Amino acid sequence: MMETTRILTVDDSHSMRALLRMTLSGNGYEVVEAEDGLAALDWLESNEVDLIITDINMPRMDGFGLIERLRGEQRRHVDRPILVLTTESSEDKKARARRAGATGWIVKPFDPEKLIAAVRRVAH
Amino acid sequence: MFIEPSQKFSTLVSPRITVMQGAVEVTDEDGVMLTTVLGSCIAACLYDPVAKVGGMNHFLLAEPEHREGQPATFDEHFGLYLMELLVNRMMQAGAIKSRMRAHIYGGANIHKAMRAIGSVNAAFAERFLNAEAIMLSHRDVGGDCARRVDFLAAQGKARCRHVVQSAAPPPTPVRSSRPESVGDVEFF
Repeated sequence: MMETTRILTVDDSHSMRALLRMTLSGNGYEVVEAEDGLAALDWLESNEVDLIITDINMPRMDGFGLIERLRGEQRRHVDRPILVLTTESSEDKKARARRAGATGWIVKPFDPEKLIAAVRRVAH
Repeated sequence: MFIEPSQKFSTLVSPRITVMQGAVEVTDEDGVMLTTVLGSCIAACLYDPVAKVGGMNHFLLAEPEHREGQPATFDEHFGLYLMELLVNRMMQAGAIKSRMRAHIYGGANIHKAMRAIGSVNAAFAERFLNAEAIMLSHRDVGGDCARRVDFLAAQGKARCRHVVQSAAPPPTPVRSSRPESVGDVEFF
């Protein structure tokens, strides 16, 4: 039996997390949620995940901080794909996410079909 | 911020955009009026007084019905999606969430024999705004009358008139015209 792909969504917006949960779980994915980068790191200390979808602008630890930590100090998840999901569209921020080690960049508001296509492409 | 009835609201504006069920419109153009007619639907109007950006959505149902053992699904007719869409479009246009002010209109229980969809919708909109820490500066919801809402979005000025029931739109969702660019994905 195939294992369910587990996705961690990181966003300080309760409604955005709810939309992601509905979209992803409706397509057969297991969804875990964190409200900012720090909560995500805490959870990842002792859990495994197949894909991380993270916002950029969040309190306590933003998406850049999360990606940098996962690609730097917390090496256990160094190979995990990370999709950034943000309202930001500046090339500077996109370049920063790329340098930090993000796998892809999705502009909010997300299109459910495009999101699922992106998830299928990167989730293992 | 409301225009008093004595002021000539309709003569102050030029372009008028009708916000249909399932749609979201955002503008920073002076004089553009967003307008809609509501029965049990809700229209949320958001405004950032610093960026001078405003927007309106129009949704028929609050959230998808969740059945035990089945994953919930949604589409763009639900308030959950359309509220998020409105907030994000506002931010893309330069608004900041913490500065946004909201008005909500609609949520009438037009058909007494039916369950109180309007009340559920209105309660959802308030819950959403509360969860997102967006200040609700005005609400005109409930009752059994349809409403017409005119919103000078970039100025944050709204007017809501109660209208005869026959003027309420039929409760049929209209698919939103989602731009092709929404949710674009770029891989690094």
